[in-house]
Amino acid sequence: MKQKTNPLLSIHSYIVIAFIYLPVLMILIFSFNTSRISSKWEGFTFKWYGSLFSNRYVMDALMNSLTIAITSTIIATVLGTIAAIALRNALKKSKTVLGMLYLPIVVPDIIMGLSLLLLFSQFHFPLGKWTIIIAHVTFSISYVYVIVASRISGMGKQLEEAAQDLGASPWQTFRHITLPAIWPGVLAGAIMAFTLSIDDFMISFFVSGPNSTTLPIYIYGLVKRGISPEINALCTIMIFVSVGLILLAQWLQNKGNRGKKASTLPF
Amino acid sequence: MKKMKWFASTMLASSMIIGLMATAGCSPKKDTLNLYSWADNFDEQVIKDFEKQFDVNINYDVFANNEDLLAKLKAGGSNYDVIQPSDYMVATMIKQDLLEPLNKENIPNWSNISDRFKNQPYDPDNKYSVVYTTGVTGIAYNKKYVKGDINSWADLWKPEYKDKVLLLDDAREVIGMSLKKNGFSNSTTNEDEIKKAVDDIKQLLPSVLAFDTDNIKQKMIAEEGYIGTVWSGDAAYIAAQNPDVAYVVPKEGGTIWSDNYAIPKGTKHKELAEKFINYMLDPQVSAKNYESIGYSDPNDKAKEFHSQEYLANTMINLSDDEIARTEWLMDVGKTLQVYDRYWTEIKSGRE
Amino acid sequence: MRKSKWLVSPVVLWLSIFLILPMAIVVVISFLQRDEFGNLIYQFTLDNYARFFDSLYMGVYWDTLVLSISTTVLCLLISYPLAYYIANAGATRQKIWLLLITVPFWINFLIRTYAWVLLLRSQGVVNSVLMNIGIIDEPLKMLYTKGAVLLGMVYTFIPFMVLPIYVALEQMDKKLLEAASDLGATRWNAFRLITLPQTKSGIMTGSVLVFVSTAGMYVVTDILGGAKSAMLSNIIQTQFLGARDWPFGSALSVIFAITSLVMIFLFNMALRSRHERAKEGRA
Repeated sequence: MKQKTNPLLSIHSYIVIAFIYLPVLMILIFSFNTSRISSKWEGFTFKWYGSLFSNRYVMDALMNSLTIAITSTIIATVLGTIAAIALRNALKKSKTVLGMLYLPIVVPDIIMGLSLLLLFSQFHFPLGKWTIIIAHVTFSISYVYVIVASRISGMGKQLEEAAQDLGASPWQTFRHITLPAIWPGVLAGAIMAFTLSIDDFMISFFVSGPNSTTLPIYIYGLVKRGISPEINALCTIMIFVSVGLILLAQWLQNKGNRGKKASTLPF
Repeated sequence: MKKMKWFASTMLASSMIIGLMATAGCSPKKDTLNLYSWADNFDEQVIKDFEKQFDVNINYDVFANNEDLLAKLKAGGSNYDVIQPSDYMVATMIKQDLLEPLNKENIPNWSNISDRFKNQPYDPDNKYSVVYTTGVTGIAYNKKYVKGDINSWADLWKPEYKDKVLLLDDAREVIGMSLKKNGFSNSTTNEDEIKKAVDDIKQLLPSVLAFDTDNIKQKMIAEEGYIGTVWSGDAAYIAAQNPDVAYVVPKEGGTIWSDNYAIPKGTKHKELAEKFINYMLDPQVSAKNYESIGYSDPNDKAKEFHSQEYLANTMINLSDDEIARTEWLMDVGKTLQVYDRYWTEIKSGRE
Repeated sequence: MRKSKWLVSPVVLWLSIFLILPMAIVVVISFLQRDEFGNLIYQFTLDNYARFFDSLYMGVYWDTLVLSISTTVLCLLISYPLAYYIANAGATRQKIWLLLITVPFWINFLIRTYAWVLLLRSQGVVNSVLMNIGIIDEPLKMLYTKGAVLLGMVYTFIPFMVLPIYVALEQMDKKLLEAASDLGATRWNAFRLITLPQTKSGIMTGSVLVFVSTAGMYVVTDILGGAKSAMLSNIIQTQFLGARDWPFGSALSVIFAITSLVMIFLFNMALRSRHERAKEGRA
């Protein structure tokens, strides 16, 4: 059933991966640089990895970023997926709702951030992690929606109709037929939401309050004095931990699944 | 389906763990001072000492430039007790009624500040602000590539520096520099003068390697650029990393700037904020703080506690003569729109 | 299944509060005036919209469109084969590839962009390598050029293109391809007639995301372009910050958002009509 892969295609893919990881390699190398300013190589050291963990500002910012990214990803993925499913059957999709769903993608970040801040301060909503989470959910919903919706648009209804004919409840149909079929889209949407959240500066900056500085906000602030190699060290660790966790999860799952049919789900 | 459950539960569990870790660090009941400033703007130990001595917590949050700070305060995102705007921003914030007047009785150490930096035009009676650090915009150049005497803004226009000139990425700084070169005030509202200055900048454009405020240091250190408009404090930093770099305040004069302490309207800890400002102005604390961050210390009484090395640095401690040649950037009111449109012309290469 | 429509209400509620309401404030501001300190004056005016039709700002908008379109096309050319490769890999490898592509984008954006500076500057890594192998004698000027900006944009938005196209490709019925090749279709014809039409929704989604995000990106032009060009996003940014002209900034944003939405709907309509026709043809 599998096509033979064109060797040119593999070569292309490896070149793109190399392109994507080229800057990462630089970050890795310069995390071992003795000099505090990251533009000149002056010698090898591990000291930044040590001082990183005793820097309470960086650690706080990292924790805030992770909390916000994970929470907002979960909420946005659920809401965005629900929207995509709900709008699937509306033959004439409401232009208003669609426009609403595309709006966060086309509105410049600074406008999103400032206007949300105006809203929150109008209603005396205390600024902090929750306001950042709300903001991130608001723009992430759209990204999740467009990806899941494009998956759904290419999907037939036969299986679901068959399931319902055989007496499955709507929930059972959803859980056993629809969800597995759109799952790759849901996951791709979640990955996108997480990526956007953990890397957002502009919107977070405006809706943040005391004690909710995220990593991007902290790093932007550092630029004036020069970004220290501690941040390079942190990025390096983040990459290794992420890749490590992915491989670990994969390995655990393969162990549990041994003997079963290979799955086509991305996780 | 199992995989989905597995995925969902992992996400949930990890978010809960992180949530717990994030809240675990908070110790309740203590008074909290919300400090909003540039990143790494204070010596960490000095902040810890203050927390210990007064039994309070300091929340140190950061912004990246004055305009971000203003937009945020204006939209109602205050909740901060001490902020650190620059000079012209202090003036703007006073006009927009965003600052709380200071109670000088709570800041007796204010008298330690050098007279050179008291009662400046952006806040004539220091009713709202106390200076934190100051600097001047001048020319930094690399002696390896730039031969001969550099003493005028016009030197930037020399053809041999084509593609090697660095300028600050700021409309008022760049146009102000060209205004100074032409002998005008850096805050003029005369549109003919501005036009003349802008025409000069357009002549300079082919020589410009990049506009950059934050990373101009790296570009000078790595010798990407040979000559450029640089703040004195940054110049000290550059020279420490690359001894070939020299600094001059041009004969036409330059722009002087300062960062200041101020207290935004709506603070809930005004007295604590004043206590903090006063503490930072203590001579010994001051010396410790500025030695560590490497900025200029406006505190006269702190001189005796500073190291010889610090005092000998002419880029940190500018001479009276150099300071006398400088001018503060003033709010230009409606003319700002003129500056902004010209700036867009300069950047986009269109008219 | 009609009843499932009410499911959309939580999302509509959420977006109404946290998106439509704040946007309404922005639209209102775009019709207001401001005093010399940047404070809003509550008097109606159309000036902020009229100002856009200055050749300067129209020109900037044009530059922005050109950059966005070039980025989208390049991203598509790079990402489609990659997504195709991933979608045809084994299940385990699919997952690993997808994440390998996204993980670098979890680390900070500024840090990634500065890493490109280290690579591209005149005494940077790329120039040193090229000079050491003897391909060039003089360092090439790569940084602070339009090319560097384009490279930075393409780099940043590759995942935005790969993810939706992958999702579409993964879903494709591969039996169709087998049938086509059984019937003697060449690979290229099979791709053109079967794969491409079936992944159109993915291509469209990816293109919309890349196109709009490029137009909204300002840091790449500043860092890799040496801040020597002005994009619409840079100007909007300046209006809210340095220039303290919220009404004009709001007006520019409204113009930008509306023109983008119109483009998206035109895309979608073109896509849908093709799609529907194809379906009818099959039936």
